[in-house]
Amino acid sequence: MKFRAKIVDLACLNHFTRVSNMIAKLAKTCTLRISPEKLNFILSDKLASGGVSMWCELEQENIFSEFQMEGVSVENNAIYLELTSENLSRALKTAQNARALKIKLTNKHFPCLTVSVELQLSSSSSSRIVTHDIPIKVIPRRLWKDLQEPSVPDSDVSIYLPALKTMKSVVEKMKNISNQLVIEANLNGELNLKIETELVCVTTHFKDLGNPILPSESVSQSRHPEDMAEVHIDIKKLLQFLAGQQVTPTKAVCNIVSNRIVHFDLLLEDISLQYFIPALS
Amino acid sequence: MLKCGMTGGQVKVFGKAIQTLSRVSDDLWLDPSEKGLALRAVNSCHSTYGYILFSSLFFQHYQWSPSATMIDNSIPMNLNCKLAIKSILPIFRCLNYLERSVEKCKIVSRSDKCRVVIQFFCKHGIKRTHNVYFQDSQPLKILFEKSLCANILMIKPRLLTEAIVLLSSNQEEVTFSVTPGNFCLKSWSGESLDLSSSVYSEMSFDPEEFDFFQVGLDTEITFCFKELKGMLSFSEVMHAPISIYFDFPGKPVVLSMDDMLLEANFILATLSDQPSRVSSPQSLCLSQAQRRSDLIQSSAQVGKSGASQAPESISRAAPKRLFPKDPLDSSCATETKRASTNQDDISEVPESVVSDMEEGPGPSHLRKFSSMFFGAVSSEQQEHASHPLDSWAIASDSEEDVSG
Repeated sequence: MKFRAKIVDLACLNHFTRVSNMIAKLAKTCTLRISPEKLNFILSDKLASGGVSMWCELEQENIFSEFQMEGVSVENNAIYLELTSENLSRALKTAQNARALKIKLTNKHFPCLTVSVELQLSSSSSSRIVTHDIPIKVIPRRLWKDLQEPSVPDSDVSIYLPALKTMKSVVEKMKNISNQLVIEANLNGELNLKIETELVCVTTHFKDLGNPILPSESVSQSRHPEDMAEVHIDIKKLLQFLAGQQVTPTKAVCNIVSNRIVHFDLLLEDISLQYFIPALS
Repeated sequence: MLKCGMTGGQVKVFGKAIQTLSRVSDDLWLDPSEKGLALRAVNSCHSTYGYILFSSLFFQHYQWSPSATMIDNSIPMNLNCKLAIKSILPIFRCLNYLERSVEKCKIVSRSDKCRVVIQFFCKHGIKRTHNVYFQDSQPLKILFEKSLCANILMIKPRLLTEAIVLLSSNQEEVTFSVTPGNFCLKSWSGESLDLSSSVYSEMSFDPEEFDFFQVGLDTEITFCFKELKGMLSFSEVMHAPISIYFDFPGKPVVLSMDDMLLEANFILATLSDQPSRVSSPQSLCLSQAQRRSDLIQSSAQVGKSGASQAPESISRAAPKRLFPKDPLDSSCATETKRASTNQDDISEVPESVVSDMEEGPGPSHLRKFSSMFFGAVSSEQQEHASHPLDSWAIASDSEEDVSG
């Protein structure tokens, strides 16, 4: 197993750092999947995460100027690593104005992802190299099946999301009132966030959001546009997702399968993020 | 009696010194002499000693006259003034404001009333007077022969500060690793005690970046990161490079800055190598207990003689590196107050951690901090009984006598 990659473009580096920061907020521990074309940050829907799952994908050639990898075997040309997300984002943070950043898989005393940052020295033209060895666990082949791209369910309603910052500040206040939240939307561009307790009921209405045009029109055509599809979810999980979004996404869609799952599908320039929150049982 | 005066700008530096030493301890000695006014602080486990000397030239005016009631006219008396940080720190809180508004500051000691009077003469005719009561306590002074250290480095503090920023802030310790051709800064971060889950960071400096680079001994020393940061933070008000003096692991490292008007020194304990690899938690505890009882014995001897001793080092487990307390600790705690062990002292090391220990970055976590013993530097009246802390012999490994 081998992996080495290099970033020399500052914009690419910043972009990668931002993604890493987001992942650090969304999942404490995650899986990094390295394949010849892509990098994925994965959180599978194990019980530990409360059923939440995440799939983040980026095309390696959009970020790295050099990229070489050799997977576990020729037929299984991928590497699956488990790491603490914050370790990677902190290491990348030290590379803010770096000339170059190299990442490689090493095995010094235990498997590590070594991030090597070349910084321009303020005093002279020479550079200083800072290395960070991030400990990782290699995930064995037999567990790979649990870490595949989740299938996107046929949703009842698909809607564009409002400004995530607004959603976040609303949900933040709601969290103090209730642990559960209902997210509902219809094909008329309306999305509601509702909480209900014995004493009080609070609903925030978002209108004119627009609905993406889905390929399988037949499913949605039979549905009355005013009908709301709703899911009861854990408010903290929604808040964690929203708190991770520091940048305005290029595209943000929410797919709801009534009483089953809510699926957030975001595009951050060229990086895609999918986040699944299951309904409370 | 002490009488000195400062301008607003000088107050800022003085206040910064107090803030820096407040990170070391809850108490601070005000120790005037003919040379100038020294501020001294030592932490509870005696692993950090800070000493900032403001020379008489620093002040607008400076006057120190030892008390008239001296036992022996040839021996200088100390003011023996120990201030609680929480009483003096608030006085020097907003340094930028003080710099702007204070025209003159006067500090006067009144030993008869155990008081230090600090007066600020501010703009618009405002005068602020603070009376701070002090405890009578002989200051801990230590003599350390910096020039005898095998490794002496001098570097602009800014370079180190920039480098420190690249290490994550939750670090406890930092390691300096030197060879004649290279200086390397290393650290481990992460809350977990498991070596295999902490991020190891490393950065190298070229000897050319140093103003002075003398490496007589290839070595690696590890000490408290917080204290390095404290020293670097104080360097902002000084205009001098920082000098680093050290030898082998276990021997204290001295960080020092001297800019003619004032001199700042931090003497920090470093982790020492385990003499032998331990194979089980039980044997580790035993070896610690043994070492501790040796110290109690030798401390009794020192108390009597007051002479200088070979460096005493007690082993203190690097905090948070090992698991909860060794039961032996509490029984020794009171007795070892003189030995000044830290309360979160030696602990058990789970076997798995020990056995996973490998060469390379790992082992230092399991090494122990050497605490230092300090003592009054001169052979003046020693109050062995009442101030056990003060009468320790020097922890210098110099051959010279204490009073030399």
